[in-house]
Amino acid sequence: MQAQIKQRLEQIVNNIGQLPSMPDVAGRVVTMVGDPDVAFNKVSEEISKDQAITTNVLKLCNSAYFSRGKEISSIERAAVTLGLKEVKDIVVVAATKSLLDKEIIGYDLAKGELWKHGLAVAVLAKNIANLKNYKDIADIAFTGGIIHDVGKTVLALYVQSAFKEIVETVEQKQITFQLAEKEIMGFDHQEIGEKILQKWSFPHILRDIVRYHHEPENAPEESKLIVSIVHIANTICLMGGIGIGSDGLYHQLSDEAIKAVGMKDAELENIYANLPDVIDQVSAIQ
Amino acid sequence: MHTLINVGVAQISVADNPAVLRTILGSCIGICIYDKVKKTGGLAHILLPTGSGNNQKPEKYADTAIPLLLEKLDKAGCKRENMSAKITGGASMFKFNSSVSLAQIGERNIEMTIKQLEDAHIPIMVAEVGGSTGRVIDFYLEDGRLKVRSGGKEKVFYKV
Repeated sequence: MQAQIKQRLEQIVNNIGQLPSMPDVAGRVVTMVGDPDVAFNKVSEEISKDQAITTNVLKLCNSAYFSRGKEISSIERAAVTLGLKEVKDIVVVAATKSLLDKEIIGYDLAKGELWKHGLAVAVLAKNIANLKNYKDIADIAFTGGIIHDVGKTVLALYVQSAFKEIVETVEQKQITFQLAEKEIMGFDHQEIGEKILQKWSFPHILRDIVRYHHEPENAPEESKLIVSIVHIANTICLMGGIGIGSDGLYHQLSDEAIKAVGMKDAELENIYANLPDVIDQVSAIQ
Repeated sequence: MHTLINVGVAQISVADNPAVLRTILGSCIGICIYDKVKKTGGLAHILLPTGSGNNQKPEKYADTAIPLLLEKLDKAGCKRENMSAKITGGASMFKFNSSVSLAQIGERNIEMTIKQLEDAHIPIMVAEVGGSTGRVIDFYLEDGRLKVRSGGKEKVFYKV
């Protein structure tokens, strides 16, 4: 059984055709906005080529969470009013919803729970980045939050059949759920997620978030801070039960991440106490 | 058909038979109180043991949410002598540096919840708490039973 799963997953990661896809526009916009010299109109033109995404992006631009008050009726207007970084985040929300907003069986997440979890981690990670004065990367924290668990969409079926063994491994070896995933199935949801982002041509910093969100201490030096921010946001959301699945709290809160972000004890507790505000912010994204 | 009511983080909900109150818990606690004669019950989903006291939402904290839940049940016509409680949740992160105060939130929530219920003389029939699993709970007001789904397994507690 284990050998079969390992073999099957090996095939999947080596054949990107079997990994989930998403509208090409998202990967292009994420990369373009990563370039500080990119022209506004180039990004707007790129988005406008995809009519379905454009409609959803405009709807989101006018949601209570993103809106600045004035009605936004074109992508050009959105880029000027909200800025390119925010428009990029909105494109990612619009482009990933159909993939993430579904039931994730092996992890015991009902339809909508993984999606809401991603949005909550996105909102909270952005709030943490702003709170700690890392404002220039707050948008990346948001994007990373949305997609950090994308690997679960592929791994879910296999987790379902190997669940008993994974849990036994967690208990016997006293290791986290994600380490047990790797031990039993050969891959954990972080590694599968990284492969998916490679297929989508997402930049390195986002791949690192997906790859190391449960083990920020192992992230490359240049992305340790952003990975740590998403790691803390993810942990606090799970503690609050937001998107908690069959893997429960069999994870860690990394000390190194807390140090990297410079979170004080009281700040951590305060963020946890204010989770209801995060849930309100998430409901304002639609 | 039971009416399913989702109770969110830091919310309190009171309803009658045949409603079902559902919530999802990590380190939070779900406090389910049932009046077995009137077949009315309430669920409070608390985040933390105590608040700092200034203008905070009382539903967030065990020490303010439990009195508020009891008050709502009183108003709904429940009698204290017919009430009993079941509590679930209070999980902790599996690997956690214990010097961080957030590490003990699950434990602190459990302690405060038990203290508040004892002070109010509400007997606790079930305390399915602690560990590192998340819990999805369904509180059935037709007979006060509690279904707890956790780590792929399901348990039902009937005692009221």
